[in-house]
Amino acid sequence: MAGSGMLEIQQVSKTFQKVVKEKTMEVKALTEVELSIRDKEFVSIIGPSGCGKTTLLKIIDGLIPCDGGQVLINGRKVTAPGPDRAVVFQSFALLPWRTVLANVEFSLELRQVPKEERSQIARTYVERVGLSEFEDHFPHEISGGMQQRAGLARALAVKPLILLMDEPFGSVDAQTRQLLQEELLELWQREQKTVVFITHSMDEAVYLSDRVVVMTPRPGRVAEILNVPLPRPRIGHDVRRSREFVELTNYIWESLKKAMRTTQ
Amino acid sequence: MNQRITANLASILTLAIIWEALGRGLQTILIPPLSQVGSAWLHLIKNGGLLENLIISLGTLVVGFFLALTLGVAIGVLMGSFEKVEHCLDLYINGLMASPTIAFIPVLILWFGLGVQSRIVVVFLFSFFVIAVNTMTGIKYVDSSLVEMSRSFGAKGWELFYKVQLPAALPMIMAGVKLGVGRAVKGMVTGEVVLALTGTGAMIMQYGSAFATDALFAIILTILVVALIAMKIVEVIDRRLTSWKVEIAVE
Repeated sequence: MAGSGMLEIQQVSKTFQKVVKEKTMEVKALTEVELSIRDKEFVSIIGPSGCGKTTLLKIIDGLIPCDGGQVLINGRKVTAPGPDRAVVFQSFALLPWRTVLANVEFSLELRQVPKEERSQIARTYVERVGLSEFEDHFPHEISGGMQQRAGLARALAVKPLILLMDEPFGSVDAQTRQLLQEELLELWQREQKTVVFITHSMDEAVYLSDRVVVMTPRPGRVAEILNVPLPRPRIGHDVRRSREFVELTNYIWESLKKAMRTTQ
Repeated sequence: MNQRITANLASILTLAIIWEALGRGLQTILIPPLSQVGSAWLHLIKNGGLLENLIISLGTLVVGFFLALTLGVAIGVLMGSFEKVEHCLDLYINGLMASPTIAFIPVLILWFGLGVQSRIVVVFLFSFFVIAVNTMTGIKYVDSSLVEMSRSFGAKGWELFYKVQLPAALPMIMAGVKLGVGRAVKGMVTGEVVLALTGTGAMIMQYGSAFATDALFAIILTILVVALIAMKIVEVIDRRLTSWKVEIAVE
């Protein structure tokens, strides 16, 4: 997909109707979220549970509409899911009746890629995430980390400009998580994509990102945007133990605490 | 699996021995020994018309069940996919499912007469509802994260249905089909006994009223085997269609 993965989130607000004990209540999830993301930038969005991070991601993907403001990709307004974006889901969302390879092909199928090309592209990406040996396995036969690698391959296979990741490593164990983070950085450097990464791990946000966006609790809005000046590539170095890294995570923690206090 | 077959065989053998012993010991017409039932069965096959009657019965079963299967899955899918359809129909479906089908038989006689149509309708009524309700439930409760993922990659309408919702609902639908096929056998015999005396149902009534218990048991056992075979066929199809699910169960 040619073009640039520049993303502008302008004054985005979202209110949900929620029925509690037969009374309709309005829940304000997001209010006037403002954020610009450069092409090929890696941005993490961090915030307390329920701050609307996932809602924001779904709005960027076009899965749900926002009721105030707009999202622009290269200046074009988002109204529905499109080929310039692909999502990696927290729950992996693999089809249990399809093998790893067939799951990766699924996204290509939906995008009308011809059959021969499909399996070729799918194989390439299955290999890139290190799952070649397991391409004929069903999701329940492989570990959570492997399942998410398949989810990542499925998203990359359609060659999006923007990769939207919704707490993708939230349900794997700590060691696997670190491994996946390193692999993601390698892939990101190779594939040259804009990444919007939702997380509630401060470590993860700092380690991966060019910038970290701190959000307030509900209704979510941008509390602070932080640059991460750590040198790249961050793979192989002991980045996580450097003084700068620790200072940055501490700073984010303070920022989060402040954001949580002011709204409560 | 082998263990299961061994257990099945052991259970059948034990029951057969007890039956035979009881029959010989009690010397009553109420419980004829199994060996006597066996020879009655052979006789029924050779010149009692059991095969002919069985074919009549199976004809009704197959037609009625396939009607129930097609309509049940179709209506279940519509109810599961569109809330409005569900709200319009669930009253009738639930009401009819809970009420005894036998109560409708006088109406069926008025509408369809005493012939084969009525019997097909009885088979249909016995098996339709459970297939429809299971299909509806299956479609309605498809993992929403799978639907969301598919929509995110651009799936819509028909493609979303047959590539995601239908396969995801298949285990639930097949469970309904399995229940439905069992009920269809019940419907088959009920129709023949209550409506019109044909097929195996007629034989049951005939030999029953003649106190020919050995022949009676032979027919009942035949129907039992038919039911088991019908269920087994569905089970084999189910296992092929949803092999990914079975493997989870084995773990």
